[in-house]
Formats: sequence, C-alpha cells, structure tokens
Amino acid sequence: MEVKIQKQENGVIAELIGRLDTPASQEVAPAFDSLKEDAAGTIILDCTQLSYISSSGLRLFLSTRKAAGEKGGKVIVKGISNDIRTVFMMTGFLNLFEIQ
Amino acid sequence: MMDLHSEELLEQYRSLLPVYTKMAEEIPAKLKEYFDEAGLVVAALEHRVKTESSLAGKLALKGGKYKDIFDITDLVGLRVITFYIDDVDKVASVLERLFVIDWANSVDKRKAHETDSFGYLSLHYICSIPETAYSDPDYPELNKIRFEVQMRTVLQHAWANMNHDTGYKSGVEIPKVYLRNLSRLAGMLELVDDEFSRIRRELADYRRQVQNLVASGDLSEVQLDGDSFRSYLSIRPFDRLMRRIASINQAEIQEVDLSKFLPLFQAMRFKTLGDIDAMVKEYSEAAYQIACFQIGLTDLDILSSSVAPQNLCTAFILKNGGGRMGLKLMLDELNGPSEVNEAMADYLVEQSKDLPFMNQ
Repeated sequence: MEVKIQKQENGVIAELIGRLDTPASQEVAPAFDSLKEDAAGTIILDCTQLSYISSSGLRLFLSTRKAAGEKGGKVIVKGISNDIRTVFMMTGFLNLFEIQ
Repeated sequence: MMDLHSEELLEQYRSLLPVYTKMAEEIPAKLKEYFDEAGLVVAALEHRVKTESSLAGKLALKGGKYKDIFDITDLVGLRVITFYIDDVDKVASVLERLFVIDWANSVDKRKAHETDSFGYLSLHYICSIPETAYSDPDYPELNKIRFEVQMRTVLQHAWANMNHDTGYKSGVEIPKVYLRNLSRLAGMLELVDDEFSRIRRELADYRRQVQNLVASGDLSEVQLDGDSFRSYLSIRPFDRLMRRIASINQAEIQEVDLSKFLPLFQAMRFKTLGDIDAMVKEYSEAAYQIACFQIGLTDLDILSSSVAPQNLCTAFILKNGGGRMGLKLMLDELNGPSEVNEAMADYLVEQSKDLPFMNQ
C-alpha cells in the first residue's frame, strides 16, 4: 500500500494505491496523520488506484474527516470503484464524504 | 464663558475620567456574562463615556443644577439593544439583580405616552454598583458614580436614530406633517415589535407542544417538519435497530447527524412523525435482513448510525413498489445526485430480491 501526498494551493491530495486492509492501514496511518496538517483546507483522497478498503481503512478516512470538520476544512473522496462505493454505502459512510 | 462652579465640575470630571473609562469597559463585559447565563441574545451592547466638550455644553445650559459631579448620571452611558420587545424587560431584570437602581431618576418612556400618541420608547435605568457586589480600593469612587443604561429594541433604536437625525435638537422647527409621519412610523414599528414577539412566543409554544407529543408517544398528531423531526431524533427512534444491526459484526457505531433524512422522508410522502414510527415498527426486521446480507459475510466492524434509517427506507421503498427508480431517488437524496446511484440502486434491488421480507 502506498500513499503519495502532494501539497496543493488550498490543501493536499493523497493518492492511495493498493489495498487498504488492516496491516496496510497501520502502515499508512502516519501518512494520514500528516494530512491533518492541511485539515483547514481541502483534503482530496484520490482512490482511483485503491482496490480494497477494510474497517481500519474506513477509520482512517473517518479520522481525517473529523480533523477537517474541527478545523473548518473538508475531505473529498475521488475516483472510488463501485466495490468500494458499495462498502461505503453498506456502512453508511457514503453520505459522510463528498464523493467525486 | 464658563462659570467657576462649572469649571470645578469639569475638573472633577477630568480626575475621574479613568474611573469612567474603566466602568464603560468592564460593565458591558459583566452584563454580557449575565446575559449569556440567562440565555439572552442581544443585538448590541454599546457604551460610551461623555466627552469633555459634550459635558461642557451640558454645563453651559444647566450647570447650576448639579451640586457636584456625582449628580450627573449620564457620564457613563450604556445601551442594550434587543431583538425582541419582551427582552427589554429581561435585560431590566438582569440590571435590577446586578445594580442598585435609582428609581427616582430612572424613566420608562414606554409608559410616558398618552393612549393616542406614538414616539420614543425606551427604558432608562440609572444604576450604581453596590459595594457588596464589587469594589476596588484603587477606585473608591466606583460605587458612588451613577451611570445610565438605555434599553430598547432594534426597531425602537432605528426610530430613535431617525428621529434624532431628522429633528431632535436640530434647532429648526419641523413642519407638523413630518412629525406626524414620524409618529405614524413609531406606531407601525410598535406593531411590528409586538408581532415579532408574538411569532416567537407562538413558535416556542409549538415547539413545546411537539416535544410533549413526542414524549407522550402521540406521534400521529405531529406534522413532519424540521422542528418536529429534531424532537423525534432526540428520542433516538432508530437506536434499537441500529444496535441490532451492529451486533451482526460487533461493530462500533459512529454517531452521525440524521437530520439529512428529513427531505427523504418528505419525498417519501410521510406527513407525520407517526408515519416514520410506523415504518420503524413494520420494516425493522426487513432492514435487519438487508444488513445481515450486506455485512454478515464481511469483517466490517464500523458502521455509521445512518445505516438503520437507510436500510428502513430501502425496505420500505422495495416493499411499496418503488423499485430501482425509488432507490435511485433515495440515494440521490441522501448522497447527492449521481449517475453511479443507478448502479447502486440496481445492486440493492438485486441483493434484496431473495431476502425473506421480499417474499412475504
């Protein structure tokens, strides 16, 4: 699992590549923590190359959303596959994020 | 040319100016604390210390009236501007609790008008700080200085300012027709102030009624709207189902704001809270079956609290012939319109068709 972070004018884009399962979530947690530095702006989680997400991965998304909510920023989830969208729907996460 | 007595008063004023400034800064801050405590929201809280030139002008006109500087009660002036006319009396009661009121010099202009006249409406209190409440050895005069607090509504304030700009103290006699127009306006604003207060009272009554009906369980009597839905959510109507769904995977429930379901329920033509409650009673088992099918074979152990109402709506729409189109509209309403919602709706139709509730 790889997270490529790129700063932008008003926030940051994190490109998530691979499977965000439980071990991978632990591995990339520091990268997600670093996104919180930009929580006052827009954090884009680019999921175009994300093939799987587990509960641990959902928790990372959720904590990013919480940090953005506290600082007046927002999280945009971009490019999710239908399988991941289904996971978001089943868990009630779909309407927690702006999905693009 | 100023007389000797007025010069003495001005000298006293200059020496007390730091105390006046302290009072003008600290009293409003204290008042704000008390207003917050009383749940009182005011439009503005203004303060000023009379300037030396303004005082000199006053003394030139009636300096002989004052024995010493403490006889002048408006050197420190505060103005509390409220949104509602009822709140003027609430502000007054806060002042009565905090300060010593000099009733002999306080004026209720609201009562000063004859039955057939309209004009300046404001409540003026002359106050002082009791030593029991606050004293400062560095400012021993603090408790001796009286100050004026004017209390009025936003509309009364607007009228008073307009009236002031138009005629008061201008030195030019205003034609009667304009004075009559100003009085007419004062009468109209008085009516508007009363209406605003009436609407607020009625809204508060309505909210209390709704809360009572929700608490008593008489939900079929309660129209579905923003207020009633908020009250309904406060009794946590979906919790039981949500806990049951979470127990499938021993999942953690992430509490989220469910108020976004209101437009969906309205689109589903629910008219009363009773309609939602009936859905909860009738479709909880079906909603649970959907959840079992969706997450039972996964290790997903975190769920948003919106899963319960979302699955209830899914079951309701499917059982009432809404089909794929109905589900797409539901997803559009909850998640925002998207072409992908069609595919999600197809998925929901497909996975639900073999569930027991669809075949009963």
